[in-house]
Amino acid sequence: MEIGYFPGCTLHASSRLYDVQTKEVLGELGIDLRELEDWNCCGATSASKTDDFLAIALPARNLGIADASGLSEMVIPCSACYSRMLVAQSRMASNEKLKAEINEELSEKVKGDIKIRSILEVMIPKAESGELAEKATKKLKGLKPVCYYGCLQTRFPLDIPVPDDVENPQGMEILLKALGVKALDWSYKTDCCGASAAVNDADTAIRLMSRIFKDAVARGANCFVTTCPMCQLNMDAYQNDVGEACGISERLPVYFITELIGVAMGKPVKELQIDRHFVDAVGLLKELDLI
Amino acid sequence: MTAPVLKFESETAQSFLEEVMSRSGQNIIACYQCRRCAAGCPVGEETGYVTPDRLIRMILFGDREKALSNDLVWKCTSCYTCGTRCPNEIQTARITETLKQMSKEEHIAPLAPKVAAFHHAFLTSTRHLGRLNELEFMGLYEIKNTFKDLWHLNFKSLYNEGISQTKLGLAMTKNKRMHFLIEKVKGLSEIKRLYKKAKKKRDSKEILPDQG
Ligand code: SF4
Ligand code: SF4
Repeated sequence: MEIGYFPGCTLHASSRLYDVQTKEVLGELGIDLRELEDWNCCGATSASKTDDFLAIALPARNLGIADASGLSEMVIPCSACYSRMLVAQSRMASNEKLKAEINEELSEKVKGDIKIRSILEVMIPKAESGELAEKATKKLKGLKPVCYYGCLQTRFPLDIPVPDDVENPQGMEILLKALGVKALDWSYKTDCCGASAAVNDADTAIRLMSRIFKDAVARGANCFVTTCPMCQLNMDAYQNDVGEACGISERLPVYFITELIGVAMGKPVKELQIDRHFVDAVGLLKELDLI
Repeated sequence: MTAPVLKFESETAQSFLEEVMSRSGQNIIACYQCRRCAAGCPVGEETGYVTPDRLIRMILFGDREKALSNDLVWKCTSCYTCGTRCPNEIQTARITETLKQMSKEEHIAPLAPKVAAFHHAFLTSTRHLGRLNELEFMGLYEIKNTFKDLWHLNFKSLYNEGISQTKLGLAMTKNKRMHFLIEKVKGLSEIKRLYKKAKKKRDSKEILPDQG
């Protein structure tokens, strides 16, 4: 099965590893990805915070390209890109005038056909059909993850349907269960890491991340699992500062869901680029004899 | 934290309320001050007495000055928690986004200049190449910050900023998270046209309905 793929800027830069893993893991599950041609930045929260038109128009160009691709669905692993594209599609569907104004500037017009999927939505059917368990045979014994969804995987404007539970999402838990891993219950799975505040309002972001980190440690987790590259980068790159701020000396690797699935599929660390974390992410896997 | 008593500004309240409501697409008058939004707001401890419900109250009372410039407007991360939980479906993130835009139009100096510089640099870099180039973006952002700190002779802030960004940059390079390739979109002219249209809309203060 071939579906469209929108990597977005982060997966082509600081989270390249997520791009590599997504292709590896989905490929193994029989899902071939065709990267959208000549895609552009979705504008992320910078556009939605500062310019209402660009917030719709920037993702719209990608939607036009996707609609013209002849594919019926498209996966967007980055939570920010995923939510911005959903919002743009929905706004244009309900506002013909806006749609016409944007289409006027585009060579590939937005029709609104492409189905936008998160990386969880693409993999869950594979877990339910048993294919995931068939391909990912290595049992990840000893792993005690907390699933961290952050904001944009499940919280959208209210008129856009959420494909999971808003307050207590289960998508990652379902995938991990197929790998024989039970994720721990905790209270911060959809809390905000501060996103760009890590750069432009560091004190606030460190305090937000401290609460998340403290609860994960208190529950006895030995790692985080996430789908959002922003959450991953923040919880990973700033964990030393966060740990210092709340007096916790433990450090927990922050895995993308695709890393754990990749390991369970027996893929090598180098190939999955698990050696590119800020908090060492290879050590725990070795310690638990998983690689 | 106790909030100061608000004074009802009868002359300006209605027009201000109407403007914020139509631009944000939020039904502000439905708010019955239950404070469910405040209970879940992750930046609540950082914003003094200004919680989402109190921001709404300021708007209802017509306190334009405070509503356009307070910590919640600048510290709101647009996490959408308040809106998800509000029994009246009021998405305060859309309100803070609207107020940020309005304060910019009125040339009110941002309370958090770094936040403003960040988004400006992001959209400048995206306009330039069609995709975000992390290096160019951070460069633009730092130049703006550095300039501001130099202007105010704020050496401590300069020093701290320099240290923290250098630390991050070095760690990124060490962990092979830094990529030096420049990606440029072929259809850049389309992106430029969209930016132009956006500017025209900003200049003419055109309101886009139902931004939810
Ligand atoms: S949750 Fe909604 S109704 Fe309640 S105070 Fe907040 S904005 Fe008002
Ligand atoms: S969207 Fe803004 S105001 Fe609402 S809960 Fe999040 S940070 Fe607070």
